[in-house]
Amino acid sequence: MAVADNAESLLQRPSDNAFPILDRVPSSYNPLSTFILPKGEDRHYTQQFADMYFARLARVKPAVEQIAEEAWEGFEIAGETARRVDRVLDVRQGELCWVVGTVYMEMPLKPNILDDLSKEVYTRYTTKLKSLDIRTPDREKYTSPGGKDETMLEDESGRLRLTGQHLQSQMLVTGCIIAAMGTENADGAFEVIDTRIADLPRQPERWERDDEALAIAGKAVKKQRPESGKVAIISGLEISGDTADNLYLDLLTEYLLGEVSSSPGTSDAAQISRLVIAGNSLAHASPIPTRDELATRKGGKKYGYDASTYNPTPTEHLDDFLAALLPSIPITLLPGTSDPANVALPQQPLHHALFPHSREYANRPTEEEASPSWFDSVTNPWEGDVDGWRFLGTGGQPIDDVYKYVAGEDRLDMMEHLLRWRCNAPTAPDTLWCYPFQMQDPLLIKDCPHVYFVGNQPRFETRVIDGPAGQLVRIIAVPKFRETGVLVLVDAETLGVECVQFGTFDRG
Amino acid sequence: MDKYKEYLALNVLNEERITAHTNGGPSQPSTNSFTQPSSPPLSSMPDRDGEEDHESEETISTTQFLVAREEDVEEAKAQFDEITSIHIYTLEPTPLKDLQVLTNCNREIQKEYAHEDPLKDWRQYGTVQNPNVKRRTNRRPPPPAAPVATTAAAKMAPRPSTTTIAKSTEPPPAKRRKSSESAASASRASTPQVDAAAIPPSKLEAKAKAPTLKRDKSDIFKSFAKSKPPKPKKQDTASSAEATPAPEDEPMDDASEDEQEEDFAITAPTVDDKAARQARKEREEALRNMMEDEDEPMEDAPEMQAVAEQQATLIDSKAEEEPEQKEEVTVSGGRRRGRRRVMKKQTVKDEEGYLVTKEEPPVPKKAKAPVSSGSAAKGKKGAKAGQGNIMSFFGKK
Repeated sequence: MAVADNAESLLQRPSDNAFPILDRVPSSYNPLSTFILPKGEDRHYTQQFADMYFARLARVKPAVEQIAEEAWEGFEIAGETARRVDRVLDVRQGELCWVVGTVYMEMPLKPNILDDLSKEVYTRYTTKLKSLDIRTPDREKYTSPGGKDETMLEDESGRLRLTGQHLQSQMLVTGCIIAAMGTENADGAFEVIDTRIADLPRQPERWERDDEALAIAGKAVKKQRPESGKVAIISGLEISGDTADNLYLDLLTEYLLGEVSSSPGTSDAAQISRLVIAGNSLAHASPIPTRDELATRKGGKKYGYDASTYNPTPTEHLDDFLAALLPSIPITLLPGTSDPANVALPQQPLHHALFPHSREYANRPTEEEASPSWFDSVTNPWEGDVDGWRFLGTGGQPIDDVYKYVAGEDRLDMMEHLLRWRCNAPTAPDTLWCYPFQMQDPLLIKDCPHVYFVGNQPRFETRVIDGPAGQLVRIIAVPKFRETGVLVLVDAETLGVECVQFGTFDRG
Repeated sequence: MDKYKEYLALNVLNEERITAHTNGGPSQPSTNSFTQPSSPPLSSMPDRDGEEDHESEETISTTQFLVAREEDVEEAKAQFDEITSIHIYTLEPTPLKDLQVLTNCNREIQKEYAHEDPLKDWRQYGTVQNPNVKRRTNRRPPPPAAPVATTAAAKMAPRPSTTTIAKSTEPPPAKRRKSSESAASASRASTPQVDAAAIPPSKLEAKAKAPTLKRDKSDIFKSFAKSKPPKPKKQDTASSAEATPAPEDEPMDDASEDEQEEDFAITAPTVDDKAARQARKEREEALRNMMEDEDEPMEDAPEMQAVAEQQATLIDSKAEEEPEQKEEVTVSGGRRRGRRRVMKKQTVKDEEGYLVTKEEPPVPKKAKAPVSSGSAAKGKKGAKAGQGNIMSFFGKK
């Protein structure tokens, strides 16, 4: 037995020697407030969502056109040159042309509130079986295999049905902007030969914003910066408060504080400069119950504080967890689907009132402070500069939603496409709840991130993708910690990734 | 409470015992770490549809921390490519069916040491320190005080019965650290345990009682001040300086900011036991009677001057203790009724933007002429509250 060897050293009076104390690597942190919604009376929900599509098309179209132009310049088939058409409705039958528009997928299985309603009314009048559950069952995917899904291309002028073999090989979802080249056939459908998307936008240099800020402040731009440590990303803590919560969580705390193992492990932990929590920190804390929850909820409605339905323990545990880490490590906290934030994207920061202990480490809401909070409760999606790199992350909703409407399982592919479509959530507002933006759409990706992480995915995956202008993006699917016990570490010098997994050994 | 020391000495430091523990103590979970390029669960990307081979998909190294029971350790070790370290995570007297139970121990520790300031006290535990940490400067005392204080009574009672748990809690900190760091671990295991057991209770009691004491004082002296200005003047000014704000500030200090406030507003009165309250009430009653008697003639004297005169004579007759305090009395209006003050709740937005509910003593009302205004208000009220009459509703429209 290994322990027995140095058992002697354990069986003595504690020595009075001072032991070395490690200092954590500093984290350079410069968050952006891209997804902060206007507060109070300035936040309106009465606008039409059509404006979002309009703004999105207007913003992305130039980029797509430029790429399409370069790709299809002088493209010829049977002596006919591809011509650019401004509007979808200007496409003429038999003419080889290309046009830019927003994709709309017509899917018979897609949940449709009107269908649900009419079915409900119908069953109520015919069968009187109120208990009959007639709503569309929740599916993993809403694609139908038999080619019943139709792809349309639309802009402000109208819609065009797309067909062709080429489409089968492309990943398309409602709301993404593409350029399609082809001809309109006799059926009035547009036979697609090739498509183009906007691809990755411009990627800022490392330290760009920080250098800018320094330059504006009139200080010398730093040439030498201290070597950065690692950024830990985690998601899906799903603290539920029932039974013993989870030993993994304790191991995680101990690991991050450098308590879990002896010197080599401790110095590893000291290398971690920041913890990013990517959504779903609480298990069932969404303020809006799902339809299932509504259906199973018993009893009458109670107003105000109801001790039988409200359980404060999970929030307390989360607060304790954060408060245990904060003295040693700065934390960025994104909300997720199951967190007590608003449901529509972009989700706004979790309120400090939830964290009576941890908020000691956050800036006071009324004070405008120059430096960002040590404990930063941020939006979902969120972007910001960590150690000079641009990080962009979400709690996973956009990917989970896209997943339902495309064939295939490769979530990294979907993430990659989101970036290349330059849209953080293409399926919002169609199938994903989202704030009705008017003039601008912050969900569009203006700057290409260096690290793109998506929380609450089924398993850990990562990949580096590259763009036309030499952009390199590290994309990471962060698994649910509750299920996998995985913590992802991103090296802030090399953008290399490694995993730390916590677990218990269970027989069988 | 030397129990812990005793326990440590007997069960942990004693050589025979510890070997017995490790051998017999079935739960000897270990933390194993491994680095392995091709481990099945995580590291390699499952190329499900091998067609697309992303050249950039590198192998990801995974470090795993695994807690296993002693009997499973060998099996667990077989999983790893490379083991960097093995630690004893915890020692238990009996086999643990469910390792998750250990969470409770950790939570217990967290609770017990909630009063520690992590930025100062954590150094001794060997925790990774962060020199850049930023915390609110003029912070209120951390909220842990609140739950502890409120649950003080509850905690006291079950303590003896939870000793078994406490025992099992105890080993982890001691064992978690390696031999070299055992200094820290032992100090943590022994001394804090002791003070957690012995010191906090008294502290808590003091804390719980402090507000009531203060309030008592202020109440009584306040009422004294009104009836017989000269004698308790000294205390009055002193206590009104420090005690008048006390009832409104006391809960503010402890309460975190918003919702906890309410806890406090409630707990503060509940802390003093019924007997004390009863006693206070009686005293108040007596005082009030006394004052009523004394006040009778004073009320008849309508002018300030008369009051001042009276006070002056009183002072002269009693003693010439602090003549300069005289002004104070006249300024403060001379008399207030020694009446039990009803606290008034007031919700204000504080500088942080949170809503804060304060309890404040109401502005003393003039004792006289309430009858007529009261009747007027009554009449008005009667007219306004005509909810029952449906015709009035229609008539107005």
